[in-house]
Amino acid sequence: MSELRIEGLRVTVGDTEILKGIDLVVPAGEVHVIMGPNGSGKSTLAHALTGRPGYHVTSGTATIDGVDLLTLEPSERARHGLLLALQQPLEVAGVRPVDMLVAAGADATTVAERVDAECERVGLRPELLHRFLNVDLSGGERKRAEIVQMSVLQPRFVVLDEIDSGLDVDALGAVARRLQDATQEWGCGVLAITHFRRLLQELVPTAIHVVSDGRVVASGGPELAATLEEHGYEPFRRTA
Amino acid sequence: MVSPLHCHWPMPPMTTFLDAASQRISTHSSDGDRQAFFDAFTSVGLPTTSDEVWRYAPLHDFQLDTFVDRPADAALAPDAAEDVVRRDAAVVLTVVDGVLTDVSGEVAGVTVSTRAPGADLGDRSYVERYRADAFALLNAALCPATIVLTIDAHTQVEKPIVIIHRTSAASSFANVRIDLGSSSSATVVECWFGGSDALVVPVSEYTLGANANLQLSTYQRLSTTAWHVARTTALIERDARVQQSVIGLGGHYDRARNDAEFVGTGATNELHTTFLGSGTQVHDFRTHQFHRVGRTNSQLLSKGAVADESRSVYTGLIEIENGARRTDARQTNHNLLLSPHAHADTVPNLDIRENDVVCAHASSVGPLDAMQRWYLESRGVSRDDAERLMVQGFFNEMTAVMPPSIAALVDRDVADALARTTGRTS
Repeated sequence: MSELRIEGLRVTVGDTEILKGIDLVVPAGEVHVIMGPNGSGKSTLAHALTGRPGYHVTSGTATIDGVDLLTLEPSERARHGLLLALQQPLEVAGVRPVDMLVAAGADATTVAERVDAECERVGLRPELLHRFLNVDLSGGERKRAEIVQMSVLQPRFVVLDEIDSGLDVDALGAVARRLQDATQEWGCGVLAITHFRRLLQELVPTAIHVVSDGRVVASGGPELAATLEEHGYEPFRRTA
Repeated sequence: MVSPLHCHWPMPPMTTFLDAASQRISTHSSDGDRQAFFDAFTSVGLPTTSDEVWRYAPLHDFQLDTFVDRPADAALAPDAAEDVVRRDAAVVLTVVDGVLTDVSGEVAGVTVSTRAPGADLGDRSYVERYRADAFALLNAALCPATIVLTIDAHTQVEKPIVIIHRTSAASSFANVRIDLGSSSSATVVECWFGGSDALVVPVSEYTLGANANLQLSTYQRLSTTAWHVARTTALIERDARVQQSVIGLGGHYDRARNDAEFVGTGATNELHTTFLGSGTQVHDFRTHQFHRVGRTNSQLLSKGAVADESRSVYTGLIEIENGARRTDARQTNHNLLLSPHAHADTVPNLDIRENDVVCAHASSVGPLDAMQRWYLESRGVSRDDAERLMVQGFFNEMTAVMPPSIAALVDRDVADALARTTGRTS
């Protein structure tokens, strides 16, 4: 069984160390949720895993089946099974989603119909993906478009950076159901970053991890969300 | 239909270009004012880089005498890509070195003819209009004939009218006039093929009667050893509209000056210019939007990319006459740098003699957006493919408004050129 294994990950942005030794294991088919206060390093983890410019890994590894993703180019990380769904997906004028998906490895003969079918599942009008990548889409539409890309590409692991923000209740439900189905359909491992509990009302997590000041400070089952709801992050906050 | 000038000059190899030209003109002295145009050319003289409008041209390696005629390839094979452009055409004009050699297809209200070059355009004579333009003057002196395409008033031509230009001689001077009668509409595609080691100097003029509508695509895909010095002028009457796309991919030096003159209220010109530079090419695009009357509109969009060691310059002048109130003139110029050794200049100029106008320009020069590229890469798209998608995307906005046949050819040529470029730099 595949697993995404992050060990001792330290990351700096500019001169500041944001991640100070993250350890995390996500087995295939499971849903792991990372929660934490603003500035704790949640989004940095997502970006560092996918090699975003400006994020410098100073030590640690992130492996899928023994291959360290952090030594690979961003496209090779995706080809090796890790896909990031962004908090703020970028507009790329002139590039059509299907052309991008084919260049990313999707089957050219079926990609158009698969995109349309996946749009239906997350409540997105298919014609929004017939133009250019994320151009003229609202924030919530872009989030759903990211899920469509994921569903077509079927990565072994998906990292979701605040996929819930900007989605109304109905859209959130549709996205959560799609993710839950992905864990069954192709054994997709899900690492969802959020600071809202409402995603968890729709998406049943296997485990919850609390991140504070660049480290995982607590891990537990779904019941951890209730503790956070009641007491906030303060009991978990690290003192430097 | 074939002009008697379509003979290749039987000159000994040591003949100079000017001697050959002079002799050519004297044997056809009855044909218009060729000598007057030639005299005007001689008195203007060839440009030098100290002329502001020529400062970006690699004139140090330009010698007219290298373009003295050579034996023409009598059986000039058509470029296979011609078939792509001919597809779905209503009428196809084949022009070889400026000579109209064939017209196929027939549409009521559309006529094709030839006449002596150098006719007036609007209220200005040829010499007056092009008095500072040595190459346009040389064109009128040496072109075989003016090819005139006339669309009668109230005629609507649904399918494109295609003009195929083949260039095989050492120098090639095509002169084209397109006249649209009032309330007519047409789509015209002009495409240049060939041009190996040649000087190619086309002059095209377009007149639009009231309420006429012309969609025009001009595609230069000459050899990268050609010198291409082109000039187009649109004279636009009341409520008429020209949508013009000018694409330059070929040429060692590719100069395209595209002017519009607005002489009736409500006249509109939407001009898109596009180039892709590679190797050591220079693309030199110039525009002059001359708003002589009020309530006229010009929308200019120039998008070009330069790779390898290529260079580009875009110089756009918006001129608004005193009294041309409520004129709306906008210029946008985006340049993509695909190599650290490539260079792009952008020079917007405004000459506005009226206050009650809207006039705007915006420009940018820079490499591909690194974050957008990372976004594509993070989906699993390789860096080369991401850059190819982004550069083709950069041109999509331009090809989207062209007839499908020419858009397909431009897309294909851009992809081929990019593949060669990537191959050189990686």
